[in-house]
Amino acid sequence: MKSPSSLIALFAVLCAPLSFAEGFKPARTVDLVVHTGPGGGSDVLARAIAIMVEKEKLLPVRLQVINKPGGNGAVAAAHLAEKRGDPNTLGLFTGVWLQTPLVSAEAKVTLRDLTPVARLVLEPAVIAVKADAPYKTLAEFIEAAKKNPGQLKQSGGSNTSRDNVVRQLLQKSTGARWAFISFPGGGERIAALLGGHVDIMVIEPEEAGEHIRAGNMRVLAQVSEKRLAKFPEVPTLKEAGFDVPVVPQVRGVVAPPGIPKENVEFWQDFFRRLTRTPSWQKYIADNQFEDGYQSAAELEKFYDEFTDRMREILKDAGVKTVR
Amino acid sequence: MEILAGLLNGFAVALEPANLFWCFVGVLLGTVVGILPGLGPPATIAMLLPLTFSMNPAGAIIMLAGIYYGAKYGGSTTSILMNVPGESASVVTCLDGYQMARKGRAGPALGIAAIASFVAGTVGVLGLMLVAPPIAKFALSFSSPEYFALMSLGLALVVLLAGRSIVKALLAALAGLWIASVGTDLFSGTSRFTFGQMELLSGIDFVVVAIGVFALAEVLVNMEAREETQLLPVPKGLKNLLPTMQDLKDCRFAFVNGSVIGFLVGALPGGGSTIASFLSYGLEKAVSPRREQFGTGVIEGVAAPEGANNSETGGALVPLLTLGIPGSGTTAILLAALVLWGFKPGPLFIPEHPALFWGLVASMYIGNVMLLILNLPLVPLFAQVLRMPVYVLYPLILGVSMVGVYSVSGSLFDLLLLMAFGLLGYLMRKLDYPSAPLILGLALGAGMERALRQSLMMSEGKLSILVSRPISAVMLSLAVLVLLIPMFGKLNAWRLRALEQG
Amino acid sequence: MEDGTRKSGDLWSGVALAALGGYIIIQARQWEYLGPEGPGAGFFPLWYGVAILGLSALLIVSNLRRRAARGNPIDWIRLGRALSTWFALAVSVALFKPLGFVISFALLTYFIVAVMYRRPLATAALVAVASAAAFYLVFDRALGVPLPVGILGF
Repeated sequence: MKSPSSLIALFAVLCAPLSFAEGFKPARTVDLVVHTGPGGGSDVLARAIAIMVEKEKLLPVRLQVINKPGGNGAVAAAHLAEKRGDPNTLGLFTGVWLQTPLVSAEAKVTLRDLTPVARLVLEPAVIAVKADAPYKTLAEFIEAAKKNPGQLKQSGGSNTSRDNVVRQLLQKSTGARWAFISFPGGGERIAALLGGHVDIMVIEPEEAGEHIRAGNMRVLAQVSEKRLAKFPEVPTLKEAGFDVPVVPQVRGVVAPPGIPKENVEFWQDFFRRLTRTPSWQKYIADNQFEDGYQSAAELEKFYDEFTDRMREILKDAGVKTVR
Repeated sequence: MEILAGLLNGFAVALEPANLFWCFVGVLLGTVVGILPGLGPPATIAMLLPLTFSMNPAGAIIMLAGIYYGAKYGGSTTSILMNVPGESASVVTCLDGYQMARKGRAGPALGIAAIASFVAGTVGVLGLMLVAPPIAKFALSFSSPEYFALMSLGLALVVLLAGRSIVKALLAALAGLWIASVGTDLFSGTSRFTFGQMELLSGIDFVVVAIGVFALAEVLVNMEAREETQLLPVPKGLKNLLPTMQDLKDCRFAFVNGSVIGFLVGALPGGGSTIASFLSYGLEKAVSPRREQFGTGVIEGVAAPEGANNSETGGALVPLLTLGIPGSGTTAILLAALVLWGFKPGPLFIPEHPALFWGLVASMYIGNVMLLILNLPLVPLFAQVLRMPVYVLYPLILGVSMVGVYSVSGSLFDLLLLMAFGLLGYLMRKLDYPSAPLILGLALGAGMERALRQSLMMSEGKLSILVSRPISAVMLSLAVLVLLIPMFGKLNAWRLRALEQG
Repeated sequence: MEDGTRKSGDLWSGVALAALGGYIIIQARQWEYLGPEGPGAGFFPLWYGVAILGLSALLIVSNLRRRAARGNPIDWIRLGRALSTWFALAVSVALFKPLGFVISFALLTYFIVAVMYRRPLATAALVAVASAAAFYLVFDRALGVPLPVGILGF
C-alpha cells in the first residue's frame, strides 16, 4: 500500500544522507596549498593525492596543487587564513606548520586559527648507523654515548625537527649526551653518515631502504608504535627498552577559517573516503607511512596535545618558545 | 669493457624513435624554460610528472633529464642580452656576457655559451659514465670542513672581482654575507634580521637579489640618458654573429676549466651550479693573460661559467644515481620521480637497472648534440632582439624581471624585495661599488657559515679540524694565496718605486 | 663618474655602511655567541659586522684625507630620471593587487615611453598595449606562468 506520498517520503529519507553531503559541492577547481616548492615532501604527496582524485573520480572537479613556499610554512598558513570563507581552498599541513609558530614570533597563523579537516598520515622513522659501526643495538650506542659524552654525533635537520626531538627525548630518558649537527638537505645528512663524519641519524624508512639493501647502513630501532612491514626484525623504541613517547611526523588537511559546518563535513567525508581507496592504501604501503586518519574533532585534540608536548621538549632543549 | 657494452645497449635504448622524440621534447622544453627567468626546471618537471605515468620510464626519465640540462643552455640567453640572469647558475654569465653584448658581440657570446655548454655537458656525461663510482666515494669524504674551505676559496675570489677599490669590493661581499643571514638560523631556530616579516623567515631568494642588482639597476642607469642611442650595436653579417676561430682559441682553457670544475663541484652533495660557475670564472680570470679585462666583455669569461654549469648536471647525477643522494632542487625532484615510477636510486640502481641508466647516459650525449643544433641557429635570431628600440626593450626587461621573480614563489613580497634591490643596485653603480662581490657573498654566505659551524660541532670546538684534514688544508691555503695576490702586486710596485728612488 | 661626486659619495656610503655594521653588531650581541653545542646564531654576524664597521671606517678616513678639489656636483637631472623610473616601477607593483599585472604593466610602459623617452602619445599607447598583451599571451596563456591578478580577474 505504497501511496505516492509515502514513496516520496521513503525516497527522501533514503536520500537524506546523500543530500546532506551534496549540500555543498566544490564549484571550481579545488586548490590544495602546500608550503614547499615543487618536489618537496608535501608537494609530492599533494600531487599524488591529485592523481588519485582523478583516477578514482572522487570529485566532480580537478584538484590542483598551489605552492606557497617561504617563511617555514608561515606563508602558506597566512595564505589560507586570508582565504577566509573560501570553500574551495584546502591546505596540506605538516608538523612544521605546528612548530614554526612556536618558535618564530613572525609566524602569526597557528593551526588553531584555521579549520581542521582531517589528519591523514603519520610518518615513522628509523634510527640508522653506518654498516661498519660497532653498534648493533641502540642500547650499545647509548652506552658508548654515556662513556664519551658529547663526542658522538648525529646528523639531522633543524633543531626543532623530529630528528632532534627524538634525540632530546632519548637523552632525557637515558642521561646520555651526544652532539646534533644540522644539515639543510636530506642528501647531505645521508652523505655525512655514509662518509663517516657523523655516527648516527634518524631517517625515513623509504630513504634508508636502498642503503640498507646495498649493505651500507644498519638500522638499530624504529620510531613508531608498531613494527613496519618492511622492517620486521627491528625493535621499536619501546621494545628496545626506551620508554619515550613516539612523536610522529604528521600530515593532514586544514581549511581556511570561517567555513560553514557542512563544508567541513563534506571535506572530512571526502578525505575519509580517500583513505579507503585502494590507490591510497597502496601509496601508504609503498612509502611506509602509517594510516593516521583522524576526523576534524580528533585532529583538534591532537593539535593541542602535540603543541603542548613540543613546547616542553623545546624548553628542555633550550630553545626559546614564543607562544 | 663493461662500460662499452653498457653504452652500446644504452644507445640501442636511446635511439628508439619514441625515446628520441621524448629527448627532443625534453631539451626543447628545457631550453624554453631556461630562457625565461624565474621559471626553472624543478617547477616544470613537477608539473609534467602526472603526464609521465602513461609513458614508459625510460622515455620519461630521458625527457625530464633533457629539461634539466636543456635549461642550462637557455639560461645564458637573457643573461647576455638583457643582464637578467635566467637562473642562479647564469648569474656569472652576466658579468662578461652582457658586456660583450654592449660591444656588439652578442652573437659570439651566445654562440660560445652554446658551444661551451655542449663541450662541458658532454664531458659531464663522460664523467658520469666513466668515473661515477670512484667520484661518488671521493665526494663522500667531503664534509663540512672541506665545504668551508671550498667556499672560502670561492669567496677569496672576490679580490679578483674587485676592480678599482678592494675595500669597496670587500664591503659588497660582506653585505652579501649579511643578506644571506636573513632568515631562520638552521641550528638554533633564532630569527635573524627578519624585521618582523614572516616572509623573511626563510631568507631572501638569491634570484630576486640577482635580478634586482643586475637587471633592474642596469635599466635604471640607462634611463639617465635621454639620447636616443641604439641600445646595443647589432652585429651585422653572419661572420659577426658567431664566435671566430680566434675566439675559440682563446677559450681553450675555459672549456677544460668549466668541464672539470663543474663536474667535480656538481658531484658534491653540498655543491651547486652557482658555486661551480663562480669558481670556474675565478680560475679562468686567475690564469688568463688578459685578466684585467675580465668584467668588460672577455669571451672566456662567458665560456668558463657556462661550461661549468652544464657539466655540473652530469656531476649532480653522480650522487643521485650511484648513491640515491640528491644534491640540489632539481635532482631531488628527479629522485621523487624515479621513486614514483618504482625505481629506487641507490647503490644498487646501476647494477639492477642497467638499461635505464645506460639509456639515460646515451640520451644525454644525443641531447647535448640536439641542443647544440637547436641553439646555434637561434643565436642570430636572438641577437635581433637587440634591434628593438630602447623604449620597447627596457620595459620588456622590467616586465620579464618582474614575471621572473613572481614565478619563483608567487609572492608580491618578493616583488617588493626586487624593487629594493634594484634601487640598491643602482646606488651601488653610482657610488662605484662592484655588484659581483655582493652576489658572490650572497651565494656563498649561508653555506659558508653552516659549514663552519658544522665543522666546529664535529670537532667539538677545535678550529684545527680545518687544517688537519688534507683536502680542506690545501683549499684553505689556496684561498689565502688568492687573497694575497693583490698584495704581491702592491709589494712589487712599492719595491720598484723604492728602487727608482734609491 | 665625476671625481668629486665619487668622493662625497664615498663619505656618505661609508657612513651608511658603518651604521649598518654597528646595527649588525648590536643585533648579533643579542644572540648566542658560543653555545655548548658550538657557535651560536650571533657568531658569524658579529664578525662580519665588525669587518663592515672596520672597512667602512677605513673608507671614511681615506676619503677625509683625500679631500682635495671638490670636482663637479651631482648631476641631479640624470639621477632624477633614474629615480622617477624607479618610482614608476614601485607604483606599478603597488597596483598589482588592485589592477593586476597586465594593466599595471601597460601603464608603466606608457609612462616610460611617453614621459621618459618623449615619444608621441600614440606610439606610447601602442607599445604599452602591445607589450602588455604579449606578456599576457606568452606567459599566462601559452606557458601557464601565473601573473599577478587584480580584482578584474586578470
